[in-house]
Amino acid sequence: MFLNEVRRRLRMLFQGSRFQQELDEEMRTHRELREQEYLDRGRTPEAARREANRTFGNPATLQEKSYQSWGWSWLASLLQDVRYGVRSMFRSPALTIVALLSLALGIGANTAIFSFIDTLMLRSLPVKDPAQLMFFGREGESGITGDIASTTLYSYPFFREMQKRNSVFTDVAALLSMLDTIHGTIEGQDAMQPMLVQLVSGSYFPTLGVQAIQGRALTEADDTTEGDHPVVVVSYAWWKRALASDPAVLNRKLILGTTKFDIVGVAPPEFFGTSVGEEPDMWVPLSMMRAVPPMWDGYKKNFWDGMYLIGRLKPGVSPEQATSNVNLLFQQIIRSFPDADLSERNLGYLRRAHVGLTPMSKGLSSLRRRFSDPLRVLMGITALVLLIACANIANLLLARSTARARELAVRQALGAGRLRIVRQLLTESLVLALTGGLLGVGLARIADRLLLRMISGGPDLVPLNVSINTHLLVFTFAVTVTTAILFGIIPAFRSTRLELTEALKEGRASSSRGSSRSRIGKVLIVSQIALSLVLMVGAVLFIRTLINLNNIDTGFNREGVLRLDIDSNVTGLKSDDPRMIAMFQEIEQRVSALPAVKAASFASFLFNQGSWNTSIRVVGQNLNDQVNIKHNVVGNDYLATMQIPLLAGRNFSPQDTATSHKVAIISERMAKDLFPSGINPIGQHYYAGRDSLPETQIEVIGIAKDVKFGSLQEPPQYIDYMPNPQHPWGYGTLAVRYTGDFDAISHSVQQAIHSVNPRLPISHIGTLDEQVSRTLTYHRIIAQLSAFFGLLAVFLSCIGIYGLMSYMVGKRTSEIGIRIAIGASRASVRWLVLREIALLTAIGIAIGIPVTLGASRIVAAMLFGLHGADTASLLASVAALLAVALLAAYLPARRAASVDPVIALRYE
Amino acid sequence: MKRDEIPPGTLYLLILKALSLHGPLHGYEMANFIQQSSEDILQVEEGSLYPALQRMLLKGWVKAEWGVTAGNRRARYYRLTPAGRKQLTVELSQFERVFGAIQRITQIA
Repeated sequence: MFLNEVRRRLRMLFQGSRFQQELDEEMRTHRELREQEYLDRGRTPEAARREANRTFGNPATLQEKSYQSWGWSWLASLLQDVRYGVRSMFRSPALTIVALLSLALGIGANTAIFSFIDTLMLRSLPVKDPAQLMFFGREGESGITGDIASTTLYSYPFFREMQKRNSVFTDVAALLSMLDTIHGTIEGQDAMQPMLVQLVSGSYFPTLGVQAIQGRALTEADDTTEGDHPVVVVSYAWWKRALASDPAVLNRKLILGTTKFDIVGVAPPEFFGTSVGEEPDMWVPLSMMRAVPPMWDGYKKNFWDGMYLIGRLKPGVSPEQATSNVNLLFQQIIRSFPDADLSERNLGYLRRAHVGLTPMSKGLSSLRRRFSDPLRVLMGITALVLLIACANIANLLLARSTARARELAVRQALGAGRLRIVRQLLTESLVLALTGGLLGVGLARIADRLLLRMISGGPDLVPLNVSINTHLLVFTFAVTVTTAILFGIIPAFRSTRLELTEALKEGRASSSRGSSRSRIGKVLIVSQIALSLVLMVGAVLFIRTLINLNNIDTGFNREGVLRLDIDSNVTGLKSDDPRMIAMFQEIEQRVSALPAVKAASFASFLFNQGSWNTSIRVVGQNLNDQVNIKHNVVGNDYLATMQIPLLAGRNFSPQDTATSHKVAIISERMAKDLFPSGINPIGQHYYAGRDSLPETQIEVIGIAKDVKFGSLQEPPQYIDYMPNPQHPWGYGTLAVRYTGDFDAISHSVQQAIHSVNPRLPISHIGTLDEQVSRTLTYHRIIAQLSAFFGLLAVFLSCIGIYGLMSYMVGKRTSEIGIRIAIGASRASVRWLVLREIALLTAIGIAIGIPVTLGASRIVAAMLFGLHGADTASLLASVAALLAVALLAAYLPARRAASVDPVIALRYE
Repeated sequence: MKRDEIPPGTLYLLILKALSLHGPLHGYEMANFIQQSSEDILQVEEGSLYPALQRMLLKGWVKAEWGVTAGNRRARYYRLTPAGRKQLTVELSQFERVFGAIQRITQIA
């Protein structure tokens, strides 16, 4: 019944003109028949027609009524308003351009930032029922640990026991916590190429509920026995990129290490694994761990803890139930391993261990952890900018509505309802906002790419899908409509509230109305200035933070060092193979021998590359297991290459070999804190590890100046440097100190490396300085964007001030004329105008300061070397804001001062 | 001769009744019918039939078809639908209820 009516209504909408014609015809017929009747009764034709028309009524009104009954009149009037809105946009192009530009920037910035928030923080994993997935432990750790009570990293045998014995998960999956780039070959091709390989348990795809779109996903059958399941599932993106979407993909093979793998499936396009911002090229079963470089052999080791575990909750099982079951099993499984070292100390660790389950419906993400805060702050900043833009447009619309006062008055006098006019004005605002929003979406696409590049902090883009989607469009649309209401509602109501007679009179707008209009204008300006101050101080704080961080002494000389990675796994040698050790040394020697190279050395960690840490026990002291030492395995010339000053003792020498007694150079802070005071640490011994195993005993031969190791903000670290032959590390990072042209050096260094082994893949060629400053990506983004938005805010406020002042000067022309006529000097007239804006700015600043202080407390954690807003930053911003405000008001002031009293008064 | 305006809201009723008595009618015939059956007391502003008919078309009470009059003119004929027939009884009982109530009040004095 209802549906039928809707159908009929829709037919009337789409065949409107036919219905109109039919109605017209039938009404005409009716009148003609009536006319004929009167004629037949003997009236004159004239009288007959008049009488027929009279009895019929007004056909235009009747037609209008019929039309209304179809229920589409609102659409017609909307279309009419939209047409009118578009026309009025073209009527004042300057206003339209300013409004559209500020809207596009405001909405675009909000959309762009939101698209990152959406991708990183809001979107669910593209798997079956992501809300049921639970991550074992807490995000943030990766690597391999021997810690018996590790609650985030687990061993493969532990995973199997947990999978078998738990009663709360439908299934449990494991994946290696490290995602390694390895160099492999596609069968039939010569060149090796980098591939991101994720090792996963056979239960990984079934647990996630992800099906392959070609072939099959990995299954439990691929993960039963070690070493004999050379199969791989590739990502959709890799299939497209590396295999050009070859339809015969299932016949293709890959060579990883020395093993040939069959491609058995292609993952669906939306599936990127379980970590947002990482995108493995392929998934290999953990059973093949030993075949895939770097050829870990942890498959059967009970305490080789390097896996993440993910469980899918059974329906109806609460996270609390799951947690208690998991923790019970955790204790049982670990204690049941025959090789468990259940010393008193380890039992203590175990008793304190608690496995927390983390919901992972949105996936894991280190990017999210790093960028949630800055994104939130940026969202706040862009929202403020949009508010300022709204205030600005409201001000411009108010100014225009004064110009349109007569038009609106005429329409009201002719009987247009106030609400009807308000609706029309709001529709105009909406047209403006939607156009701005459309431009904003376009702008956001560009901004997204820019931001992605900024977040990536290097040449390789982080694989994040931030393209425009419906989620985003809904957000943008909501923002757009809100802005339209924000900037449209005041002018709309203000300009329809009028005393008709006043407005209809010739001459300038009535004084009472004008003053209330400029009162709103002033309030808007004051709030713009207050918000601008907040944004400016924020920008100053973030910029100073970036400068402070950049000025931190790293302890090494970050200039003049080339760095690159080689993949030594392709040799197929173990890292403790003497040939491997010799290869590293030979590369160091050949590179060092190049002209323009001063020194070269491999290192396991240059800066911000992770760490290998253990406890130590200084001979003659008790173990403090809370202290962790970061070990850096290096070449002999490492300190020279990095220009880290040796404070005491000797450097490594060729005499420090695999068989000689073990030596280390320790950091200044380690020497100071961990060795007994009063005794020279040089010549002292310590054990690397908790236990006093003789083969881990190391002699201190030197003390080096403290350096930054993981980040610029960190306090001095406990670091020891150990020579590669004594602690063989299959490392890849080479540092080269050089002088002269980077490209030339880079070329000759690569040649030298390939002269040692032509098969070594070389990647990530860059400078140490870039590597260091990449760790400031987060702060750089905040500083650059907050500066940009701060300037934008001030610029918008200036436009607002200029507009308001021009309007007020225009209104006071006659008053100013009189003042000049009776002898006021031009300077005093200029001051009259400037004083007004100075006052408004001062009020804005007075309101802005407490807001700024409050806001700066929110971002205090993101600052460095500053504690919230300090006087210097505040004063600088206040001064700058005052200066630009007066500058913006200067032009109108000069115009006021150049008023010719004769003309001004004649006009009156 | 003085004619009275029809009470508001009864136009649907009159149209429905007219159609149920006479079968398909066009607008002019309807107006005539209402006038004549009420012995010229009820005066419909003839044009107002049309917005009412449009609404009734929407509600599905009547159906319209083009046909030819006795005088060989093209005209749109309206016909009662089953829904319209049902509506007629609804409108009738409603009218009687209201009319009865008014009558009771006016007869008190």
